[in-house]
Amino acid sequence: MAETLLWRALASGLVLGAALAATAGCQRAPGVTQAADAGARIYREKCAGCHGAKGEGVDDKYAAALTGEWSLARITRYTALNMPDDAPETLSPAEAHAVSAYVFDAFYSPAAQAKSRPARVELARLTNRQYTVTVADLLGGFAPAPAGEGEDSSGLAATYYSVAQRGRFDPAKIAYRGTDAVVDFVFPENGDLRARLALPPLDRPPTPNSTAPAGFSAQWRGSILAEETGDHEFVIRTPNSVRVWINTESEPRGAAEPTLDINVSTPASPDHRVTVRLLGGRRYPIAIDWWALPEKTGSPVVPAIALRWKPPHGSERPVPARNLSTARPAPVFVLTTRFPADDSSEGYERGVSVAKAWDEATTNAAFEVAQQVVRRADRLAGTRRDDPERPALIEAFAARFVGAAFRRPLTPAEEGREVTALFRAAPDVETGLRRVVLLALKSPHFLYPDLPVAAAGDRRRAARLSFALWDSAPDAELARAAAEGRLRTSGEVAAQAARLLGDARARAKVREFFHHWLQLRFVEDLGKDAGLFPDFTPELIDDLRASLDRFVDEVVWGGSSDFRELLRADYLFANERLAGFYGLPAPADAAAPGEFARVIAPAGQRAGVLTHPYLLAALSYKATSSPIHRGVFLTRSIVGRGLRPPPVAQAFDETSFEHGLTMREKVTKLTRSENCQGCHAVINPLGFSLEHFDAVGRFRTTDAGRPVDAASDYADEEGEVVRLAGARDVAEFAIASARANRSFIEQLFQHLVKQSPRAYGPDTTARLRDSFVASGYNLRQLMADIATLAALQGDEPPRVAAVDNPRAP
Amino acid sequence: MNPLHRREFLRRAGLSAAVLPFITGLPSLSLAAPARPRQRLVVVFSPNGTIPSEFWPDETGRDFALKRILAPLAPHRERLLTLQGVSNRIRGDGDGHMRGMSCLLTAIELLPGNIMGGSGQPAGWASGISIDQEIRNFFQSRENTRTRFGSLEFGVGVQDRADPWTRMSYAGAGKPVAPISDPYQMYEKLYGRTKDRESLRSVLDPLRGELSRVRGLVGAEDRRMLEEHETLVRQLERELADGIGADFRLAPPELERGVAADQNDQVPRLSRMQIDLLVNSLANDMARVATLQYTKSVGGARMSWLGISDGHHGLSHEPDSDAAAREKLIKINEWFAGEVRYLADRLAATPEPGGGGSMLDHTLIVWTNELGKGNSHTLDNIPFVMLGGGFGFGMGRALKFEKVPHNRLHLALAHAVGHRIEIFGKADLSAEGPLVLG
Repeated sequence: MAETLLWRALASGLVLGAALAATAGCQRAPGVTQAADAGARIYREKCAGCHGAKGEGVDDKYAAALTGEWSLARITRYTALNMPDDAPETLSPAEAHAVSAYVFDAFYSPAAQAKSRPARVELARLTNRQYTVTVADLLGGFAPAPAGEGEDSSGLAATYYSVAQRGRFDPAKIAYRGTDAVVDFVFPENGDLRARLALPPLDRPPTPNSTAPAGFSAQWRGSILAEETGDHEFVIRTPNSVRVWINTESEPRGAAEPTLDINVSTPASPDHRVTVRLLGGRRYPIAIDWWALPEKTGSPVVPAIALRWKPPHGSERPVPARNLSTARPAPVFVLTTRFPADDSSEGYERGVSVAKAWDEATTNAAFEVAQQVVRRADRLAGTRRDDPERPALIEAFAARFVGAAFRRPLTPAEEGREVTALFRAAPDVETGLRRVVLLALKSPHFLYPDLPVAAAGDRRRAARLSFALWDSAPDAELARAAAEGRLRTSGEVAAQAARLLGDARARAKVREFFHHWLQLRFVEDLGKDAGLFPDFTPELIDDLRASLDRFVDEVVWGGSSDFRELLRADYLFANERLAGFYGLPAPADAAAPGEFARVIAPAGQRAGVLTHPYLLAALSYKATSSPIHRGVFLTRSIVGRGLRPPPVAQAFDETSFEHGLTMREKVTKLTRSENCQGCHAVINPLGFSLEHFDAVGRFRTTDAGRPVDAASDYADEEGEVVRLAGARDVAEFAIASARANRSFIEQLFQHLVKQSPRAYGPDTTARLRDSFVASGYNLRQLMADIATLAALQGDEPPRVAAVDNPRAP
Repeated sequence: MNPLHRREFLRRAGLSAAVLPFITGLPSLSLAAPARPRQRLVVVFSPNGTIPSEFWPDETGRDFALKRILAPLAPHRERLLTLQGVSNRIRGDGDGHMRGMSCLLTAIELLPGNIMGGSGQPAGWASGISIDQEIRNFFQSRENTRTRFGSLEFGVGVQDRADPWTRMSYAGAGKPVAPISDPYQMYEKLYGRTKDRESLRSVLDPLRGELSRVRGLVGAEDRRMLEEHETLVRQLERELADGIGADFRLAPPELERGVAADQNDQVPRLSRMQIDLLVNSLANDMARVATLQYTKSVGGARMSWLGISDGHHGLSHEPDSDAAAREKLIKINEWFAGEVRYLADRLAATPEPGGGGSMLDHTLIVWTNELGKGNSHTLDNIPFVMLGGGFGFGMGRALKFEKVPHNRLHLALAHAVGHRIEIFGKADLSAEGPLVLG
């Protein structure tokens, strides 16, 4: 029974999830050719009628392609017993072996498939993310470094003044300086205002008037950390007046327009909203000027202010202390032009096609950047309006800008074409600069980061490395190493890779990978049945996502960087709210109230990301767990097997089951047909292993009034049956499975390099896995290895064709 | 439908009151009526009240003599209508300047808020839409009067801050519309795409050169993408060649370069640049409604170009007995009248696109102020002057009313463009219907 189901699983449902080349069947001794010929003949005669001439399948007979992951021995065994379908057990053992070997080598095995679809490193344009990050760094590279980022502590630096002067802040009136963990005050009730303004105690209950007869005001300065890339809606809640600068310069006065300028506020509608696009993983300067004028008697307005936001994937809430810092970084240029989505037909985003909409987006983006550059031209070029050298300085800056955009020095001929000629033809220097920027950002030398241009030399290697780890162009240090010939040996490249991994840009890119791997990118609505889970609030959901991010960050960037810990950790990060809801120990060593600390779950309950409640809740129905969603996730992401779309659509209708069934029983019943079992024979055992967790990811021991049964027999791709008692067993299985490891490595490789690992040799993932295991499953080491491998790939001397000679240094 | 505007409607429809009993279903008749000739509204604001004795004509009716302040408008006398006796009767929160400004075009109270006025009355933004935006929305709601922007808000020397003293246009309650005081910014808004297209066109040649050079560097499989990329660039080039300049009937004006929008002494230059842009944008039918706001209420421009070094607002507080201050204020207001005249001259000199006289024949300029008189802060006798045509008002007259609420004036503007609302701003001040200006 199990055998038949598995064959069906193999042939109709399971396909190659990861194109792996572990087994090579091409080095057999001479003389085997004869057997292969016999195999081909048998196949033509007895199999091709149903399976097609090349195993592609035949409609109405056996439609699915004959591809898969069984070993040759296993296929031979199966064939001898079951094939041909109309006359099983008619082949001799030698015939069964011959035909199986033919099928295996011709089209079935991963190696055969790799041969029929050879991979190569494809020319690629910048992906949308790479474009956005690159232009942010391109402009940032010319910005003068901020005058010391200031000390970095959680919260915003606060200054309170004992008077309100519309938009003016007199240092002589400072009453209090300190750090506010969050900005969320209603004065005087919770604002500790009297102490801050150093006012004597009152003999009667405070009112806004009695508290601050001259009004009062405050300024907050610091930075805000965006967790994810996207539109952040900021909400400033105040019945008073406020100016807010986000990702712009607030000082000196008038340096930039406030992002929000609420000189006039109406108490009845105190929420002021503004949407700011931010790139994840970076800090942005934020400044708040706020003042509460004394109110006329009779209509007291209670002074208050709250800095709130609704980040991507989050709900509106006060900006938490963990996202605020007193450091003052420079503003980041964040492109607002939207690009059409990149090709992700292979499961990862890559720049392998151009289209009209993309071309238009590059034009709009180039204009957006040009506008910024022209606006800041004097500062970028180090000149002034009345400087007689201004035109020459701006032109010299323009040439530097193009070089930075191309990630290499310009040849003299290029400089003539792309800079000088445009300035000569323009009516004025600003127009000239605008056109130079426009051409540079529309140029293939900017848009295709790995063009084999002679002038690029070692800098191509630098760019491959930085795009792999940052999605951005090399920084000055990496560019210098390339220019000086210090980026040639794998040791030199690996050392730079390690350095690049220490940068926030690497963290941002890697976080996106984990969101991709854990399928969090499109999670939007985690809301549950309010009657069953009244405390599963939007705030708690936000906390959960932050908890998961924190866990992954700590594992990847913390001491051990051990992949195994991601899957088997018995702890998670919780604040008081999460600990209370999930029945975990209180977070004792949290830095501040509401902040996260590591808490250890009761023994044997949790297994790293597999049982993180955010993921479990995302993979659940509104009221109940969903073993199917969980099983599909575990199949694809954790054990690394592929699944085809379901042959029949089958809704999970809670009302169609008789009363009293457990979820496991319902799913078993629903998927018992042979049609379904092709995949569900794999999906269900994995999904059932998480049945100890309800729709919100809480641990449970009963379902429908009966003890939870989380144990099942899982058959791996070789048919080996493994007893899984629960989530921890799945984790241990995935850790030990070479296939699961390689699948993870392949996904990480694709995300970093934007190419198929097969293009770097048929055994790329296998070799990477060997060093991964040898390093103690070190994730940082793995990322450095991947980036180094990609950077050194295909390092033949560049072709010389119609390209100018590089300018002499 | 009140009697007044029914009569107005019948007049426009070419019918007399005698046929009234036979008409049923007026709306269908109105649909059948031919499209109106184009109508535009331009509201010009200057601050701090006027000197009434040198502003208002002594006579009423067609025979009137222009006093000093309005004398610059003499060439357009036959298309002038002075409206003495119109009052801003909105009370409630806010000082005189504040209500003068933010209730001027909205004719409704300010919201309670936290801004302190000169007399210590906190107030917020206006609690309703302004008449320019009301008419804009009306135009935008109809196919044949819809334009790219609907309305354009020009400023000259408007201080860069947002409060009830600096805003007269409102898109709705608590939603002030900011004027653009920088002509280069306005240019960018109006014609930015043209400039972009020229720049884009100028780089396509070298771009195609780059693409064809790099095409030779890669293998056949990768070359396909670069060839597609080149095709896209050629396509873009063709589109630019086909489309450039075709959007505009009138070429964008040449702006003087390097005029800083925030400098007091540049106000005369800025004023002319903005008026040129305004006329050009109307000629290109980018909007049917515009505002032109000089500084703001309590505006303190120092009109050094008139030999006046004092700030305008400070001067406006001087008592009537201060002859020197009075003389300066007359000069200041003459200067504003001169700018209104420049606007009228430009409109009169530009033929109406599509025929039918000059643009001034189809454009009504309403020049106004937040106060009647600076040193009394009165909101009575707001200096409302109309100039131009197209609204069906009997121009070339001096009119005197007795403290009529300005809500009724706004109703008259709305009805004149066919927007027959019964209330504008505060309801009880709208009760008597539109002012009769025909």
